[in-house]
Amino acid sequence: MSENRVVITGLGLVTPIGTGVEKFWQAALKGTNGVRPLQIFDPSEYRTKTGGEVLDFVAEEYLKPEDIARMGRSSQFAVAAASMALNDSGLDMSKADPYRLGVSMGTTMGEPQILEKGVNIKYKTGNCHDIPADLPRQYPCGSIPANIARIFGFKGPHLIVPTACAAGNYAIGYAYDLIRLGKIDAAFCGGSDPFSGIAFTGFNRLLATTPDIVRPFDLNRSGMAVSEGAGVLIIERLDKALVRGARIYAEIIGYGLGCDAFKMTIPDPTGSGGILALNRSIKNSGVSSDEIDYICAHGTGTGENDKSETLIVKEVLGEKAKTTPVTSLKSMLGHTMGAASAIEAAACSLMIERQVVLPTINYETPDPECDLDYVPNTPREMKLDVVISNAYAFAGNTSSIVLRKYKG
Amino acid sequence: MSSMAPTKIFITDVGIISALGMGFEKISEALSQNPHIASVKDYEFHQFEKEIPAHLLPDYNPEVVLGKKGLRLKDHSTKLILGTFETGFKNIMEASDEANRPGICIGTAFGSIQSIGDFLSDSIVNGVGNVNPQAFANTVINAPTGQANIRYCAKNLSATISTGFNAGLDALIYTFNYLKCGYLQSVVAGGLEEVSYYSLLGFMRAGILASEAPAKPFNVSSKGVVMGEGCALLLLETEESVKTRSAKAIAEIAGTGSTFDSDAAQSGVSNGDAGKQAILIACKEAGISPEQIDFVASGASGNPVADKLEAKAVALALGSKVPVTAYKRFTGECYGASGAINTLCALSDMKNNRISGIGENYTSLDGINVVFSTIQKNSTYALVTSFACDGNCSALIIKNVN
Repeated sequence: MSENRVVITGLGLVTPIGTGVEKFWQAALKGTNGVRPLQIFDPSEYRTKTGGEVLDFVAEEYLKPEDIARMGRSSQFAVAAASMALNDSGLDMSKADPYRLGVSMGTTMGEPQILEKGVNIKYKTGNCHDIPADLPRQYPCGSIPANIARIFGFKGPHLIVPTACAAGNYAIGYAYDLIRLGKIDAAFCGGSDPFSGIAFTGFNRLLATTPDIVRPFDLNRSGMAVSEGAGVLIIERLDKALVRGARIYAEIIGYGLGCDAFKMTIPDPTGSGGILALNRSIKNSGVSSDEIDYICAHGTGTGENDKSETLIVKEVLGEKAKTTPVTSLKSMLGHTMGAASAIEAAACSLMIERQVVLPTINYETPDPECDLDYVPNTPREMKLDVVISNAYAFAGNTSSIVLRKYKG
Repeated sequence: MSSMAPTKIFITDVGIISALGMGFEKISEALSQNPHIASVKDYEFHQFEKEIPAHLLPDYNPEVVLGKKGLRLKDHSTKLILGTFETGFKNIMEASDEANRPGICIGTAFGSIQSIGDFLSDSIVNGVGNVNPQAFANTVINAPTGQANIRYCAKNLSATISTGFNAGLDALIYTFNYLKCGYLQSVVAGGLEEVSYYSLLGFMRAGILASEAPAKPFNVSSKGVVMGEGCALLLLETEESVKTRSAKAIAEIAGTGSTFDSDAAQSGVSNGDAGKQAILIACKEAGISPEQIDFVASGASGNPVADKLEAKAVALALGSKVPVTAYKRFTGECYGASGAINTLCALSDMKNNRISGIGENYTSLDGINVVFSTIQKNSTYALVTSFACDGNCSALIIKNVN
């Protein structure tokens, strides 16, 4: 069976440090902290009072009023990011077979604000019949890819993979597989999550949130920050992209999935699932661990994750781990949940194109148990050929995706 | 790189807990009887004004199947998926060594929306500082899948697919493609959904919940669906894996098709082309002509909009003669689980050389041959479909290999 090669030709980003690809990139180069005092609701009852909200998002810039009215914030983010990615790719829809265009998205919570709205109405009025009749259909997370497909006329396979905080990598991986199998020619893929009161409450109760800023891999790291955002990529068959002269950010050359099968909310301290996913991603990509130039870490800023992830990288890369830069974009963005690895895949695409590694900010004190090169606080220009992005999640889901500079 | 050598994908084991009973062998008898109908009214944080008819689980007791230990923090969806594993797949999960243990891929619309909604309700009623932190883990949609991975130390794959009504069928399609890519040799895949206060309320407010049971799929004047719950799992294996362990195949997944009907998603009205394309893509992958389909296990549920979409798509792709049945008459609308449950029902009918009828005669939608009374038929190819008013169109063809 001949395999189709798959390239990334369009990017769209909605993040706490900026909406839009260039706005994100410039903010990230400056090491902007997107974790700030919350505005979405009064957090005074919580231990943590900060989070990563997208403050510059204006839905009307991307959506018609009637579409805004029929979709939740997660869908709005996703459609906006998809719109940016489509424009960026230059894909001419009039020349495409719509049944060969797919949508594959990831999420953690889907549309939690819809459920929160409905339940709050029920408690406020005491009458479930006060819940608007059109609200329930906005809740299922399947509405996120459906809204993208409906608005942009993509009629091929579409789905959402709600594998929590690894969801973006899963979604990109599935779209990559559909193209390799010859089932589609191009796809929107990525992830989206809005700020969730349920997640904020839950992570607070688990004492997993930082009271101030996120310090991945730092000795004094104090936890993660709940954030929101979306990242959407246009990926397509290499031959089709070349014919139309598309700008190619990077090539997807493989991915690997695994599972800790350990605890629901705590990673396996031995890193078993992460090691499995990282090893598989390297094997499936046909590269060697010596060729890895950079790893975009899951890097949440929790004690358990960062220690475990460091171990995973050292176990798989061996001696090469000492010289391989590993950074956490969550130091700037907080944890955008199901959007995180999609945003990180888009960021990796930009890093490959621009040959610059984005930094881990808020890094001050080395941790003896996290002893890799985390590119502290300032970006670094360097040769980037093969790049890996890790993403892990509740229930022990683990994933790694491999991108390579397109060389022809 | 992962091997993409052509391989056939077989179904070698199945398990189910639903209104049809616990276990594959119960399906045949249940489809010959009147639908089992129960009702719900009271939940921990909320109550309905009156009993709501629903298809619940008549013979499943989690404490008996799973044991009492460790159940306190497991929600209903988790107990349902673990029970299905325990009664259908315990041996294969525990006998295989960890490196070769099947992965897990589950389709579900909500995971446990009861857990998600109750976590939220608890925080409103008792304050955000008083909610049980251990309950938070159950609020992610992939929680039931992950709980199954943990129970069986299944590290090879933990995937959850959520495409509303199509999730169960789409999980089978995802797994079919995953195995075709050569990533793994076997995966337990299927669908899961619970009846919950929040889903019932959503269907009620959306105006598609029937007031009387059982539902009337494809009825010209149907008023809506009756909710159901259940979990159906299938062990999917590559041809190589089947040969290596000398397993006996129940059936082959011969082809799959997925499309999106943007017109249906926009307005609920469609020309049926997207659904037709999903069927034709599945037939092409299976290497058969549409005329070779022996019967259709439809996703019709009594939802007037969705049933019309499905009837139109089937008629366009296959014509008006092929028998079309609707198992949701007996299972209820099991939402994300329904595609997998329907697949098991179709396997049961193929095994018993029949096509189960709906069991009641009424005036059905034009253009398709609805099976009202059970007919005897040896079938080679069954088409399982799901066409939802949210635009999802999924088709899967199973081939009888016995």
